[in-house]
Amino acid sequence: MKQLQIPIETATLENGLRVVVSPDRVAPVVTVGVYYNIGFRLEPKGRSGFAHLFEHMMFQGSENAGKMMHIKLINSSGGVLNGSTHYDVTNYYESVPSNALERILWLEADRMRALKVDDENLRNQRDVVKEEVRVNVLNQPYGGFPWLDLPPVAFRNWANAHNFYGDFADLDAATLADVQTFFRTYYAPSNAVLLILGDVTPEEGFALARRHFAPIPAGPARPPADVTEPPFDGERRGEVEEKFGTLPAIAIGYRAPERRTPDWYALAMLDQALHGGRAGRVYRSLVLEQQIAVDAGGGIHYPVGDLFDYNGPTLMVSRILHKPEYSADKTLAAYDAVLDTVRQKGIDADELAEVQVKFRSDYFASLEGGHGGYIPRYGLMHYMACFTLFDNDPRLVNSILEGFFDVTPERVRAAAQKYLDPARRALVFRRPVKKGAA
Amino acid sequence: MATQATPEISPLVPALGPEHAVVWPKRTRLTLKNGLEVVLAESHNIPKFTGELYFRSGNAATALDVPGLAEITANVLRTATTSRTSRQIEEALRRMGADLSTAAGADNSAISFSGLTEFSGDLLTLVAELAQSALFPEDEFERERRQTLEGLRLERTTPSFLASERLRHVLFGAHPYAVVSPTEAQVESYQRSQLVDFYRAHYRPANALLVIAGDFASGEMMAEIERIFGGWNGAEAPPTPNPPLPAVHGRRLYLVHRPEGVQTQIVLGNRAITRKHPDWLRLSLANSIYGGAFNSRLVMNIREAKGYTYSPRSGAHALRQHGYFSVHAAVRNEVVAATLTEMFYEMDRMRALPVGEDELADARNYMSGVFSLGLATQEGLAGQLSSVYLERLPEDYLETYRQRIRALTVDDVLSAARAYFDSANEQIVIVGDREQVGAQAALFGDVDVYDTEGQRIA
Repeated sequence: MKQLQIPIETATLENGLRVVVSPDRVAPVVTVGVYYNIGFRLEPKGRSGFAHLFEHMMFQGSENAGKMMHIKLINSSGGVLNGSTHYDVTNYYESVPSNALERILWLEADRMRALKVDDENLRNQRDVVKEEVRVNVLNQPYGGFPWLDLPPVAFRNWANAHNFYGDFADLDAATLADVQTFFRTYYAPSNAVLLILGDVTPEEGFALARRHFAPIPAGPARPPADVTEPPFDGERRGEVEEKFGTLPAIAIGYRAPERRTPDWYALAMLDQALHGGRAGRVYRSLVLEQQIAVDAGGGIHYPVGDLFDYNGPTLMVSRILHKPEYSADKTLAAYDAVLDTVRQKGIDADELAEVQVKFRSDYFASLEGGHGGYIPRYGLMHYMACFTLFDNDPRLVNSILEGFFDVTPERVRAAAQKYLDPARRALVFRRPVKKGAA
Repeated sequence: MATQATPEISPLVPALGPEHAVVWPKRTRLTLKNGLEVVLAESHNIPKFTGELYFRSGNAATALDVPGLAEITANVLRTATTSRTSRQIEEALRRMGADLSTAAGADNSAISFSGLTEFSGDLLTLVAELAQSALFPEDEFERERRQTLEGLRLERTTPSFLASERLRHVLFGAHPYAVVSPTEAQVESYQRSQLVDFYRAHYRPANALLVIAGDFASGEMMAEIERIFGGWNGAEAPPTPNPPLPAVHGRRLYLVHRPEGVQTQIVLGNRAITRKHPDWLRLSLANSIYGGAFNSRLVMNIREAKGYTYSPRSGAHALRQHGYFSVHAAVRNEVVAATLTEMFYEMDRMRALPVGEDELADARNYMSGVFSLGLATQEGLAGQLSSVYLERLPEDYLETYRQRIRALTVDDVLSAARAYFDSANEQIVIVGDREQVGAQAALFGDVDVYDTEGQRIA
């Protein structure tokens, strides 16, 4: 397979801001992203949920663009915008017709240089975030399952184990001083990357980036942080009450190997064989053939992230909603039988070749895809940003596939034996309060 | 009330540059001899293609007799053909790097697919097989029946589903559009033969539209499609019924009692228009100013000023025979009445007062820009083309869209708000804990109370 040739140009400003430009002329639109190398792992203790609350504050006003102006100026330029908080990065992005590029860069630079928010803004967004948590977690069947359920069971380091959406008491305790401190600590240009994709030339992109971002003073270096996690010392189990849904559910997590190591590439192929849709072994066995489960899925860094957007300890997760007439033990035994088979026999060369093709196809779609349709090249932006912040090399986006194609059936089997150890994993059971009608 | 001062725009904000022209993708259209309509558009971003094979018959076609039949037909469809088992189908897809899904909405059934261009012939062959020679094995049907039942039970615990279900019932009465999901008893009574009959009657080339966007040469792709789909034959499909709609007069409230809800889902709505109606863009623009964009009045009011909710929105929804306008927000239990007050305030303001020229210009820019963004990916392009050809809109609908948006005026917005934001006759659905929010609901009119199974309890 010939290597991808996505054009990628890079520069670093004197204040440490890295700039990545990737031109294409498919449509007269540009996608711009600013990624900061801070996510919810490193929010302060006693301030669970703060990284995400802070993300909201970045839309509340900066020195020359007050509350509502970011949203107004981007929508009225014909664009859309959003931000999202991940484990290790927080992003702010917008897609606009390319005639609004400079306006967008000005806005992003203004808030990188001088966030300007007050207590009223904080109270307002604290209320908004609480409704976000209610709509996504507290008032939904299987809300937070398993992305909020697994970490406290699987991990021991607070950075990896706490409630990333935030306990309401911690959200209430957050102050404007916290906001300012977090901004100074983590939102310096040297802790960020600016990405410009689409209808732009590299010269134009770099010139505009310099004009608007170069005047921002260099900030302090990011303080060192410890996200290391001791290895699993046994099977860890937890239970969570399911208030609304009537099906019992199980989540299983195994520690994944470090990014970009040979084992990581191999486990990624195994993950595709296990969790790759209806052809995947878990869904096929539990849902289609044995019909013990109603739904099953999973992945590495699943479900709020993927293989490429984390930089610290994570899990390969399986998620199973099973029929109430099967006990959790019986369901787990059926799941374990699927994993036993791959531990003992691995997967054959044909199956590996199939999952490699599917992986490549999915990867292309992720790069192009519009994140719901209106952010062209969101995936390309996201991966280039992560590769810049984690590896200082956005061009990995062009070369990373090779590592997956080098994987052999032997390496898959070895990875299965080493990482999918039933004696070293985390299990969470969601137990319905209400009984189903079946 | 919501009289925020208009914020000042800094003189430092860079002006917009001149707009860059849209280069329209190469588009080819052909109707095969068997009636299959084919639309191709080239988009060479990645070495893939994405497509939809639509049939213009969905759940509405049988909603009066067998609700949900199109959906379960679509779900079982992919599990076997005369030449492949379920497992062979799924593994073939993986080998081609392809995704395939089957689904049905109110108006259409669809086989959606995407895959690597290098395997396009194989994938289209599989799609053609599914469209012509699906087997509907008994055991796969029973498995899917149980999954459907569990899916229904899950839906009945989800506030947004309960709200839209009740709203559709109220707006559409005895019309098929009233039914969003079948009941458990209806699913229990499905017969395999009903699926087969639906499939034979509606999965017909003369009832179908094939839209594909992606990295291919259109001439070669069209030749391949003629080879693969040309031999498919069949009669016209039966029409979807269109019984009269109920009269809806005055504001009414419907409270779906969901015990222990820690938040309340509010939806209100009224019937409006389809995409073919001459006022469609006027309504779309009015909607984007009212609550259809982040920068809209409703979002700025109840989210950014008041913090009642995370993601309030309004929308104009076009089905094939009818349309409706709705407004929704999930809010904390204490502010249900306050939220309704603001929803009506903003609606009445749109009906009573013309929008400012600046606000109009901003909204036109927004709609025009978002339209361009939607064309920049293979999936977006296929989606835009699908809506044009499925609803048989004018051939140049996309090419002229931006200029038609630019021509809209303050009066267009005012007339659309007056016609389609039917404030005096809004049907209001509230999904929440009756003990906590019932008294607030009663402030707005008589309240009918339902349980989460859809039964009226008060």
